[in-house]
Amino acid sequence: MGIERRIIQREWRLVMARPGEVLKPMWFLLLVISLIPLALSPDSTLLAEIGPAMIWVATLLAILLNMDHLFKDDYSEGVLEQWLFWSRPFAWCVAIKLLTHWLFYILPLILMTPIVGLMLSIEADVIAVLLVTLLVATPALTCFSGLGGALTLGAARSGVLGVLVMLPLFVPVVILAAGVITRTTDGAGVGPLLALLAAFSLGAAILMPLAIAAAIRLNIGGST
Amino acid sequence: MTLELKHLHCERDDRVLFRDISQCVERGEILRVAGPNGAGKTTLLRMIAGLFEVDGEVLWESAPLSAMPESVLYIGHAPQVTRELTVQANLQFLSGATMEAVRHALQAVGLRGYDDSLVRELSQGQKRRVALARLWLESRPLWILDEPYTALDVEMVAVLDQRIKQHIQAQGVCLLTTHQPPQQLDYRTLELGHGY
Repeated sequence: MGIERRIIQREWRLVMARPGEVLKPMWFLLLVISLIPLALSPDSTLLAEIGPAMIWVATLLAILLNMDHLFKDDYSEGVLEQWLFWSRPFAWCVAIKLLTHWLFYILPLILMTPIVGLMLSIEADVIAVLLVTLLVATPALTCFSGLGGALTLGAARSGVLGVLVMLPLFVPVVILAAGVITRTTDGAGVGPLLALLAAFSLGAAILMPLAIAAAIRLNIGGST
Repeated sequence: MTLELKHLHCERDDRVLFRDISQCVERGEILRVAGPNGAGKTTLLRMIAGLFEVDGEVLWESAPLSAMPESVLYIGHAPQVTRELTVQANLQFLSGATMEAVRHALQAVGLRGYDDSLVRELSQGQKRRVALARLWLESRPLWILDEPYTALDVEMVAVLDQRIKQHIQAQGVCLLTTHQPPQQLDYRTLELGHGY
């Protein structure tokens, strides 16, 4: 069986074995979005104004929740180092894993956007743009998460450290996406900004697996 | 000269683990790496396997072994299994074998019928057998086994020795560490941990 298929099949089986890992970020998003109107005034225009940003940040945090799981379990069980003996380049296998992770854990999250958007009384066209920015930006965010997780594989309580390390990379993505959303609500054109976001995301998706592979190798080499 | 180790050197935490290790291992040979705890046996095996950068050279048939990772079957200390998945899912993932082949391998290691058992339900010894089942599933010429006999009962030790013998007779190479000298195998010994 091809290596790509083996990786995807195993990720699917893990999803089936631990469905909570897919549901947990979704519950988190739902919880955050449910609580915001309670914490603010019931003024729905205010909600509609900050709603998109809230959804973006909540989705980002939900992605970060999963950061540890990307590689840590496989690393500590000695499974990850076995990938180094496969006939495919390690960075390629990492890329497949990231893609599968995005598909099974992040995409369901993104598909909740219309639901949480409606909960915050956000207009349909803004929800649509929100959805597009999330679809475009989350591959990069997944890759940055992966790098944070890979760099902190050996550390004990690595969750927060990984996030802190990758924060400088998350910030441009969030800013670009926020720019797109703001321009949409202002009625201006979003093409160029969206293209920039897409380019950033694509660049990350290509380069990050190489960096992640190197970070993992570093940690594997450091362990005996 | 199938496997050549040339001037291998390793320092960890400002301590020299081993220095200037040079060995040749031919096809059909077993090399046992021996030495007290902390002598660097695991580190040496992991270095040869290519899990970290080699200080020196490791050549397989005159080419760097690091360029041919698929020649190596490495079984180390770690469980190498994912607890939430079944035995079969684990072996299918690591070795790419068919269900049929996995079934035969499990039979060989005394885990007949455990295909659909979750790994987290197995004992230490059983988990070890799952990891070792790969020796029946994959056809890689160089075996690097770090303490393969750990947690195995007498019967399984004999089964493993028999499998290693088969591998050697089929012109494979085997590097292993073990604290108990293998009774059934012919091997050379490389001693670590002296004079550093």
